[in-house]
Amino acid sequence: MRPGLVGTTVSYVLAFAMSSLAVGVASQSFGAALVGEVRQVVVQPKAAADADALKAQYRRPAATPFPKDNPYTPEKAALGKKLYFDTRLSASSAQSCASCHSPSYGWGDGLAVGVGHGMQKLGRHSPTVINAAWGDIFMWDGRLATLEEQALGPIQSEGEMNMPLDRLMKRLNSIPEYKTLFANVFADEGMTPQTLAKAIATYERTIISEGAPFDAWVEGDEKAISDEAKHGFALFNGKAHCASCHEGWNFTNDGFQDIGLPGDDVGRGQFVPGVIKMVHAFKTPGLREIARRAPYMHDGSLATLDDVVEHYNWGGAARPSRADLMTPLGLTDQEKTELVAFLKTLSSNLTPTSAPVLPR
Amino acid sequence: MRTSKLISFAIVCGLSTGAFAATEVIHQQGRVFSAESVTARKGEALTFLNDDSVPHNIMSVSKGNEFNLGSQPPGSSVDVTFKQAGEVTVICAIHPRMKMNVKVVD
Repeated sequence: MRPGLVGTTVSYVLAFAMSSLAVGVASQSFGAALVGEVRQVVVQPKAAADADALKAQYRRPAATPFPKDNPYTPEKAALGKKLYFDTRLSASSAQSCASCHSPSYGWGDGLAVGVGHGMQKLGRHSPTVINAAWGDIFMWDGRLATLEEQALGPIQSEGEMNMPLDRLMKRLNSIPEYKTLFANVFADEGMTPQTLAKAIATYERTIISEGAPFDAWVEGDEKAISDEAKHGFALFNGKAHCASCHEGWNFTNDGFQDIGLPGDDVGRGQFVPGVIKMVHAFKTPGLREIARRAPYMHDGSLATLDDVVEHYNWGGAARPSRADLMTPLGLTDQEKTELVAFLKTLSSNLTPTSAPVLPR
Repeated sequence: MRTSKLISFAIVCGLSTGAFAATEVIHQQGRVFSAESVTARKGEALTFLNDDSVPHNIMSVSKGNEFNLGSQPPGSSVDVTFKQAGEVTVICAIHPRMKMNVKVVD
């Protein structure tokens, strides 16, 4: 198409669209695919699932997924655990992965925002690593694609563990027991940043929320949770439409939404430029062990689950990027209490995690 | 001038007709594209129908076939006509599990 003609077409598309709204007109966009007009379509709403069908959507998976290029072995997970708890992975030798993702705090840190190198506060809340094996995309802003990539991110980040990988590999190489462990687990690859990441990611994939009262109820034990919590579950899937994003057994679809929390952090918007709904959008976190993981949200700005429910009931700050799903809910005080009661049934009797003895 | 107006008008109508003639409909129910991969001819449209219960933001950054449907509410449908032959990755910006491939052929 000649440039001159392109310009003419654009002006006529606009003129035609304005003068004849009754007729569908394609809108134009050059050097790109052509997007037509939006048409309304009658979509039959799916009949609300009955209680049993709904419960079935939340049944725990039978097995943990491990990637083909990094399969599970107990030895690899054991090595990964040592590395995860080893403070020598940080420049200061004072911080490990477990400093911010600690079993004592539901695999988070219990702080509003993380604390990094030199005790400096970070910009965002430390996310839990629980059920990371099921993650599709990592970090609050989704900038890393795999758990292996994620494992190396905070180690190198100046604000976090501040440890260049070449320096780290030299340090680990100077610890004979690590050399032996790496040689045993990665006979062909040896000790490299990639095998370090594989070992840590493998250990992280074993950090899984255990059976909670909610799971017992899903499996048929009607006495496992209170009537209040059962009402809360119905609200979660109905009036409060939490399940639009917090769906499935791990209570997330790994999607990105701006939920209207005040603040100028653009989140996912930094990595998906030009898409308005990604500005201020952050990854939907799973809700397992949520009662153990206060404070809440990507910025740690809400202290309690009651505050979180109150935020959603309000609908968040109105702005173009705010998710269309964020609308005032009109929940009664009783309904808010029921939602929180339900969320508390997602905490399991986590088996205490033993700290590993580290190579010296 | 009048001729050029008519040509432009014809192009616009042609594009619209092309769009309406779309046969391949990509559904989005349950946060899943109904096809993992489809083939479309250059100049042919695919219809992206949000028959899900939540908004989607279907887009592509594949060179020559970039588009962004913005927040598409449930119960709406949009045609996208691909202009350049090649592989196009279509995603939902909101839901990273939604990913499909369109092979655009001459």
